[in-house]
Amino acid sequence: MAEPVSSSEPEPSAPVDEDELVRGARRGDLAAYDELVKRYQQRIYATIYHMTSNHEDANDLAQEAFIKAFQALKSFKGGSSFYTWLYRIAVNKTINFLKQRKNRTHMSLNDIDFNAEHDPDMMALISEQTPRRAAGLTELQEKLNAALLKLSEHHRLVVVLHDVQGLSHEEIAKVMECNVGTVRSRLFYARQQMQGFLADYLKPT
Amino acid sequence: MNENENNFESLRRLLALKRHEAPPPGYFENFSAQVRARIRAGDAQTESISDQLPWLIRLMSAFEAKPAFAGAFAGALCLLLVFGIVFAERPDVAPQPLLQTAQASSPLAMAAPANLNSMPMEQPAFIPISSTNPVFNAQSPDSLFASQGAAVQTVDFTLPGN
Repeated sequence: MAEPVSSSEPEPSAPVDEDELVRGARRGDLAAYDELVKRYQQRIYATIYHMTSNHEDANDLAQEAFIKAFQALKSFKGGSSFYTWLYRIAVNKTINFLKQRKNRTHMSLNDIDFNAEHDPDMMALISEQTPRRAAGLTELQEKLNAALLKLSEHHRLVVVLHDVQGLSHEEIAKVMECNVGTVRSRLFYARQQMQGFLADYLKPT
Repeated sequence: MNENENNFESLRRLLALKRHEAPPPGYFENFSAQVRARIRAGDAQTESISDQLPWLIRLMSAFEAKPAFAGAFAGALCLLLVFGIVFAERPDVAPQPLLQTAQASSPLAMAAPANLNSMPMEQPAFIPISSTNPVFNAQSPDSLFASQGAAVQTVDFTLPGN
């Protein structure tokens, strides 16, 4: 069965352990870094995947982000958590990639996992409350990803980090190196845009 | 903001679908191993380059440390390129100075300057210099026939019947 790529808050691991792993990795200990990679691989991959809607690109970019983080560990001052710092590297790498690939996006979507069929929200989406009754999960998935790709990189990132990954406004502000107000306004604008793109698939409120 | 949150409730439920998109089974089992392998490969490559071209590594690290140095280096390269283009587009060369230089640098010219004055070269000849016409052309075009001593003979065109 496929692993879910969803995420919410950082894993509640002991911060001492993580600091120790980071110190080990800075000394060039690959085993320590391996542990850090395993700890964050799903969240980093998921963020990049939701930004690109392409599994192959997400795979390459996630690996490159971890490699770059390892090479840049010496410059990691510890001002923010390793998690936030790593996220920032991955996000910047992804945004640069998307800017270079402007208008040349190609979707390569992952399959929807088995749990989706039992998710009450998903059931509601494909029930009679949805204006397009015939819309299956796969069609919804394609429309949703296409709508996300229409947003600018920064607006998409806010939606992905908040509404998909479950990060708080404050965490997003740290990752994006902007203030919380900017995050909130970007999120509001992005959601408005998304509602417009997906009007046929959303229950009127 | 709560009202806004309520307005977007349907959208948030739809976005929840993204959480159920999963990569192929077993994907994350090999992920960290691939990262580790690429880090090792990168290290090996860096070591190999630094062994063979240590100056290149030093130059690259200087560029990374000081972007101004990179800019200055790029500027110098551009300047060099511009000079190269300007010199390449100039007319071949002024013939006289080159000829003089060629004569001055020629061992024959140094050995017998008096003989040169006696030669029937009243005006400096224009010698176009190219790859098929070398600079060191010791003979002037005027003296070519004279040196062979060719006799001049008049030709009679009167026909026998006239």
